[in-house]
Amino acid sequence: MADRRRINGPTGGTSAPVFSKYVIKSPEDGSDRPSRTRPGNVPRKMFLKTGVTPSASGSAYLELEASKQSLTSTRGLASLSTSGLKLTCTVHGPRPLPKSAPFSPHIILSTHVKYAPFATRKRRGYIRDSTERDLGVHLETALRGVIIGDRWPKSGVDVIITILEGEEDQWWGDDRGRAAAGAEEWGMMSVLSGCVTVASAAIVDAGIDCVDVVSGGVAAIIREPKGSLMSTMLVLDPVPSEHQEILAACVVAYLPGRDEITDLWVRGEIGPLRSSEKSFSYEDLANNAVQAALGSHRVLVGALKETAEMKMHH
Amino acid sequence: MSQISTVAVPGQLLGSTSKYIPGPGTHVHNSNLYASILGPVTATVPPKPAGPQKRLTKITPAAPAPLPTVSIDRNLSEAGPGKDGTIAKAEILPEVNSTVLCRVTRITPRQASVAILVVGETVLDGEWQGLIRVQDVRATEKDKVKIFESFRPGDIVRAVVISLGDQANYYLSTASNHLGVIMATSEAGNAMYPVSWKEYKDPETGMSENRKVAKPF
Repeated sequence: MADRRRINGPTGGTSAPVFSKYVIKSPEDGSDRPSRTRPGNVPRKMFLKTGVTPSASGSAYLELEASKQSLTSTRGLASLSTSGLKLTCTVHGPRPLPKSAPFSPHIILSTHVKYAPFATRKRRGYIRDSTERDLGVHLETALRGVIIGDRWPKSGVDVIITILEGEEDQWWGDDRGRAAAGAEEWGMMSVLSGCVTVASAAIVDAGIDCVDVVSGGVAAIIREPKGSLMSTMLVLDPVPSEHQEILAACVVAYLPGRDEITDLWVRGEIGPLRSSEKSFSYEDLANNAVQAALGSHRVLVGALKETAEMKMHH
Repeated sequence: MSQISTVAVPGQLLGSTSKYIPGPGTHVHNSNLYASILGPVTATVPPKPAGPQKRLTKITPAAPAPLPTVSIDRNLSEAGPGKDGTIAKAEILPEVNSTVLCRVTRITPRQASVAILVVGETVLDGEWQGLIRVQDVRATEKDKVKIFESFRPGDIVRAVVISLGDQANYYLSTASNHLGVIMATSEAGNAMYPVSWKEYKDPETGMSENRKVAKPF
């Protein structure tokens, strides 16, 4: 379906130009390649705030710290940023269902996830594509298990997330050489995890009854050179552009209070491994994703308590 | 009434069901009470039953002390010392038996369609559709009720919810003395005053119109 109302760029999407004067060394050289400076078990710093959109019943904004660029040659060039997730979420409802909708004894949840056209290096379209629909379905699954739906009969709630800055699927240097289609969409994983956390905050802000606050977490198994050999490693909250090869990644939506998982998404394959590489099970991967979720849960609870204090003493 | 001055986050453990009764904003899981919304936790002890104590005719074990009810205030800003006096929006839904204020939008011989504006004391954000069927207008002489002589579009009606109804409408009833039209405008467009249980009068033209009038206080 073509979007005829706006003047659009090429349908395939375009990459922001990388001017050669900024690129001192060629990307094939690899010395410009960003690398993870955090230890494997430390997630990125997170900023979360509720009540950012006054017209909505509930809203929240989430930002992940952009990873530090150690390279002077690329400083300040936005198109080369490795990451810094920025999401905003608005919740509208509970509100009356449209007249055509059948009777429902519980709340009808609908989720929409949309990348802003400028969210990634490769420009996104205005119409929701399959990635965004996929994220929406995952988010809905994650939230459905948390909301106490029968407290709100005959009503609907819309959860709308706009991704202002998304996660890249790989380092821009790799992007240039290979066809873009070759890369797995690893960026989606951290985006989903952020979506779950931010939506959870916005839903609580809207005053919709929940069983617990759900938070998202990601873990990945990466392969990187260590000396002359390759080795595998489990990392929390991976930034895809910081890793040369991601073998598998896992997102969970986790309820710490009940020790339940409402959404689990694993991508990639762990094996086959070389003899020098440490092997991990999918269970390890999921457990570590839960650890990452616990980290974001702490931020979530802190932000929510702040919200409550502010509302009570405004 | 004791106040636990803590803010609860959904999923926070509040206590065992053997010690507390779940109130609004909480839920029970594995015989434990958990918060389900964000807000300050309050525990209310029900007052001791007043009145003369019966003379003991036999010795019975003392009645168990009533359990305190734990609830979470949905209206965060009202719980605090709100200075500006703005009414915070707290989204609530019409429930069976709640008294609502609504505006008549459309009438047919069989029913009056209304838009529910206020539930209890809370002004709603959205407009919820309601329906007053001809048999629910008043309690007596139901067969002689005519919708046209009970409501007109634009009237403000106090009604009670009798059912969540079908897909679109809540079913409302005005079959009680204190329920019915509380504000009405005449065909000339003037605000009218009630003169009897079935009549409103226009102060300027002196014409009277039929309505199902709510009993003034």
